[in-house]
Amino acid sequence: MSTAAAAARPAIERSPWPARARRIRRGVLIGLLIAGGILMMVPFLWMISTSLKTRAEVFATPPVFLPAHPRWENYADMWSALPFGAFFVNSVKLAVLNTVGQLVSCSMAAFAFSALRFRFRGPLFGLLLVTLIIPFQVVLVPNFILYRLLPHPFSTSGNWIGTQEPLWVGAFLGGAFGTFLLRQFFLTIPRELGDAARVDGANPWQIYRHIYLPLARPALATLAIFTFMWSWNDFINPIIYLRDVQSFTLTAGLSLFQGQYVGKWPLLMAGALVSVIPMIVLFVLAQRHFVRGIALTGIKG
Amino acid sequence: MTAVGRRRAGNRGGGPLGGEGRWALLFLAPTLIGLAILSAGPILATVAISLTEWDLLTAPKLVGLDNFVELASDDRFLKALRNTAFYTATSVPLGMLISLFIALALNQTIRGIAWIRTAYFLPVVTSTIAVALVWQWIYAADSGLLNEFLGVFGIGPQKWLSNPTLAMPSIVAMSVWQGLGTDVIIFLAGLQAIPMDLLDAASVDGAGRWARFRNVVLPLLTPSIFFTGVLSLIGAFQVFDQIFVLQRPRPTDATITIVYFIYENGFKFFKMGYATAASWVLFVIVAVFTAIYFRSQNRWVHYQ
Repeated sequence: MSTAAAAARPAIERSPWPARARRIRRGVLIGLLIAGGILMMVPFLWMISTSLKTRAEVFATPPVFLPAHPRWENYADMWSALPFGAFFVNSVKLAVLNTVGQLVSCSMAAFAFSALRFRFRGPLFGLLLVTLIIPFQVVLVPNFILYRLLPHPFSTSGNWIGTQEPLWVGAFLGGAFGTFLLRQFFLTIPRELGDAARVDGANPWQIYRHIYLPLARPALATLAIFTFMWSWNDFINPIIYLRDVQSFTLTAGLSLFQGQYVGKWPLLMAGALVSVIPMIVLFVLAQRHFVRGIALTGIKG
Repeated sequence: MTAVGRRRAGNRGGGPLGGEGRWALLFLAPTLIGLAILSAGPILATVAISLTEWDLLTAPKLVGLDNFVELASDDRFLKALRNTAFYTATSVPLGMLISLFIALALNQTIRGIAWIRTAYFLPVVTSTIAVALVWQWIYAADSGLLNEFLGVFGIGPQKWLSNPTLAMPSIVAMSVWQGLGTDVIIFLAGLQAIPMDLLDAASVDGAGRWARFRNVVLPLLTPSIFFTGVLSLIGAFQVFDQIFVLQRPRPTDATITIVYFIYENGFKFFKMGYATAASWVLFVIVAVFTAIYFRSQNRWVHYQ
């Protein structure tokens, strides 16, 4: 046994030098990784540091890294400068609506594409995949025109422009990415499970609801996190559709803030930090799902 | 199996789509409506809109191909094409190369590696608007962190975002920083799927570190490289958010991109026909490049 192990690793057993060289190389590598990681974090650290500075500290030379007396009032000033509370609520509301909409509509479509037999299944799925590579900016103008034609009972414009509806209703109408992701997962569920239920008299809806959805929980979690993130970070749609400041999301609000508080870096950084913290917390808590989502769609693509 | 299954399904004829067509229609109803009114339908609509002059207030006026003719001689549009090309040609290879190095380094078991990994991934999940704000501050000509840092080495302050030669490279640097995490995750998944016995076999045959990487790891990683390439390519053509924040109030000819051009004409100048014509050009460019890229995979992508 021990001779076999020694034979398998002759280089290590023969002399201590390669082992030490390997240790050193490993040490250098880890050092570089940590240095790179810190470099990646610099913008975030600088955001935090600046958000607690006084005006004098902001423009000091050499730069101040740790403010002498953290100025927490910057956060209060930022919060009252614009209706950030409303921005926050709007971002949460839209992210939740988008997530629910995508989970429901994409899982239904994915079920049809993976567990049902029907004519045009292939071509229809192909069409959906084509929309996956089309940049959504291509349909920005026609979608805007469509929402401008739709009547809206409670909006001042009479149509959907200026309301939050264009920012979430579409999520309930499926999506190529989510359908593709869930279909990949559904295909791994043995058909026999559904067939057995069918023999027992279950209809497709019951099979979807009681067999596929519970088994697909990890994939659903992945889609939920991605959708939440996209909605939270979306910028071009909010600035195109929203008019009233009270209805702004955090991204649109931050952009407005940037325009009004030019050069007031502590306040701007405080606002930026408040808007990224929820995503950072979500990411740290759900890192597993996040990583799997990218890997899953990547490898099976 | 599928051919037989499909024919049998078709014969059963349970609905308009055959087989379990009625059920399929129910499950697909949201998707079909979405395709019709939000994606496939509007793409067809853009053909019609691009042939008009339309400010949304008065009726659209049919102008034929005038919008496309005008685009071809619009200096700002040509600059937008050139800048987007520069952005894509620099940020995509740079981002992929750096992420490949990081993924190779991260692909090992060390205590605390999860924390290091998190540091590389965080920029991906944070909004471009928020991180572009801090980059604007880092790049600031007056007291910006980058100028202060370079000042230590005696390099004078630069106008990173307003100097026409420096602006686009500065934007590329920020975007590469923000995008690394996605590529790293895909490369890591690809690396972890490489069978250890293949690497061991290569070692036994006397292959050194570089030979193993060149002849075993790299070929097996080509599907991941191909995939990150598609994602980065499509993403790069759509660059907008960072331009909006870093080039306020309005990008100069040195930094305008195609999507900003569409936004500006559609939603600032309300030239719907013109903006749509520009989005057609974007669509064709993305389609052509993706098609060429997919065609190329036979030559260099190895599927196991």
